[in-house]
Amino acid sequence: MSTANEMMNCEQYRQAVAAEPAFDGAAEHVSVCAACQAFRDEMRALDAGIAKALQLEPPTLTLPELPTIDVQDNDAQDNVVSLASRRSLPTPGWIALAASVMLAAFIGIRMFAGVDNISLADEVLAHLDHEPAALVVSTTPVTDARLASVVPATVAHMDHGAGLITYARSCEINGKTVPHLVIQGERGPVTILLMPDEPVAVAETLDGDNVHGVILPVGNGSIAVIGARDEPLERIEKSVLSSVAWST
Amino acid sequence: MNSSRTDAARRQKFDQLVVVFHADMYRYAAWLCRDKAIAEDVVQEALLRAWKSLDALRDEAAAKHWLLTIVRRENARHFERRRLETVDIDNLTASQSALLAEAPDEQRDELREAIYELEDEYREPLVLQVMMGYSTSEIAELMGLKQGAILTRLHRARLKLKDKVARDNQARDKQE
Repeated sequence: MSTANEMMNCEQYRQAVAAEPAFDGAAEHVSVCAACQAFRDEMRALDAGIAKALQLEPPTLTLPELPTIDVQDNDAQDNVVSLASRRSLPTPGWIALAASVMLAAFIGIRMFAGVDNISLADEVLAHLDHEPAALVVSTTPVTDARLASVVPATVAHMDHGAGLITYARSCEINGKTVPHLVIQGERGPVTILLMPDEPVAVAETLDGDNVHGVILPVGNGSIAVIGARDEPLERIEKSVLSSVAWST
Repeated sequence: MNSSRTDAARRQKFDQLVVVFHADMYRYAAWLCRDKAIAEDVVQEALLRAWKSLDALRDEAAAKHWLLTIVRRENARHFERRRLETVDIDNLTASQSALLAEAPDEQRDELREAIYELEDEYREPLVLQVMMGYSTSEIAELMGLKQGAILTRLHRARLKLKDKVARDNQARDKQE
């Protein structure tokens, strides 16, 4: 949806908003149409309720029995690996097996004991590893609609003062859906995670393989700011703090 | 030695994916099939299939989309011949009603029931948009539909939910 579509009538506007409550086009129309304003607000409130209703508690994670995969075999990329293709474990295989057991135990402990054993900093750094697409240099900003969809008004208010936002997606940290944003810094992309329900008492330093950052206490929650190791983050931290306000 | 290192790295990659995306996989499956037990089965099958074809995942940035696509296919396989288009909310099995039973919250529960009762074609894009943060073009790609069709379905889904909420509010007002 583009903001260029200014000549909408009420019906067209309401169709657009009902399909995407974050729709921000037809500003001229909605600014003078109280009924459409009310409809838009109603849709956005409904969406906040839908988001809450959809959040089911996942069961404890149990992995299925995983067959051994011969990674040298191109057939492993197919969807089926027959039992006949299993190979016996040579002695070094026990190393892999031991590593697997350790990792499974790690997951088990995390699931059974809650997230207390995994620090928020670890969770944030692990999450970054899984969204490398977010970490591309870009000059294309996300649309206002996309930003409003990922950072709904019920969670936080955010203006564009933080910088050029080139990526926005809802992600999960510690079992909670949080806005994951990327702005372009001096040395490359900088990740911002808005975590309104993750309080930290004091600022926590993040130190990954090639990244550094900080989790800043903000009200009853926190905001993580992570960039490349040589990225100066102080200015970005200040601009993010001044452009974000929790809604609750 | 190299082989065992590769095996361990493969397993580590898989475990990390599972830790990060298991909840999303379960919630997507649960809202697709509307049954807690079946959702857990679908996720187990999807994890197994993901493990077997992990080497096909070249771009880790696409991991979430890849896993959700596997969940979607596994769910379709499960219901290949007996896909339920509608469910009578007053006549649920224990496993179906377990999906709706959490700590009580009247308004959330009413909306959850309303989402539960939505037809598949309306519920799925809504889940992908609101819960997974997908754009309408991404939903269209995943569901193999045109973006216009997705916009129409999302529009209708919200109007259905809006009407249901209004009816529930009226009924509550009458009781009071």
